[in-house]
Amino acid sequence: MAVIGDTLESKSLAVTQELINEYAHICGDYNTLHVDVEGMKNHPIFGGTIAHGTINVEPVLQAICAIQRTTWPKEGTTIDLQFRAPVKPGDTITSKLVVKDKKTEGGKNILVCDMLITNDKGTDCVKGSAETVPD
Amino acid sequence: MAKLAQLFKKDLVTNFGPEKMLPDLKFAEMEPGWDCGGGTYRVTKEEVEKFARLMGDPNTGQTNVPIGMIYIFGLRICWDRKVFIDQAVRAGDKITFYKPAKVGDTITTKLSIADKKEVKKEKEGKVSINKFLSINMNATNQNGEKITDIQMSFLLPKTMQ
Repeated sequence: MAVIGDTLESKSLAVTQELINEYAHICGDYNTLHVDVEGMKNHPIFGGTIAHGTINVEPVLQAICAIQRTTWPKEGTTIDLQFRAPVKPGDTITSKLVVKDKKTEGGKNILVCDMLITNDKGTDCVKGSAETVPD
Repeated sequence: MAKLAQLFKKDLVTNFGPEKMLPDLKFAEMEPGWDCGGGTYRVTKEEVEKFARLMGDPNTGQTNVPIGMIYIFGLRICWDRKVFIDQAVRAGDKITFYKPAKVGDTITTKLSIADKKEVKKEKEGKVSINKFLSINMNATNQNGEKITDIQMSFLLPKTMQ
């Protein structure tokens, strides 16, 4: 049973332009920010394309399922996140969940965690918290 | 933009909602509860496996729909209902999970304004006001059972009236 201070299982995702393009097809979001490789080369802020925000969240979604040994988070699981920095093609992003508290709600034991998703350059891309029901 | 090869071609089963859409509103007119419409879709086993492979998810061959698919098809509905205002920046999401979505389920996603706020910001003696808007994306299955509630927050563009 996890204790306060424990780091739970993490998941990673290698983000490529191909993945971003395919994601655009599925969700219909062809914003030039995501898919116009040539046009975004000289973008004053991003200097290139960036991933859709929900791609950035994928590692923690997979991590929670792995932690709970399920393919869908258990009822009562919540995630509260803020987007902090863009994820770019070539980045590998990794989730990190650290237990900061434990509580009981509705008869369920819940782990309250700090949540981070960082890229392989050490930048925090997504930050927030998650409440997960242990397996 | 060159034509991109597609793994998916998704047609929504339905797309519903009022004729007036979110970009038609001024900020002052945006009130919590305002109906942005929604859509319904079904997820096939083939799509689940393709999505899982795309995202490097080891859980292929499952009967539950990956969360990421609820997100991504929800976003598709958001685009169809013009909920993503031009140049608005995603600030954050709050996700609550309920019953799993299963392969073959008919999933209905409803969108509505959750909240709005103005935040004063001071930088180098200059005061500016940032406008934020939150949108509820509520998904249910064919039995009316809740699947997920996702509240998405956006920083609206400075040009927003």
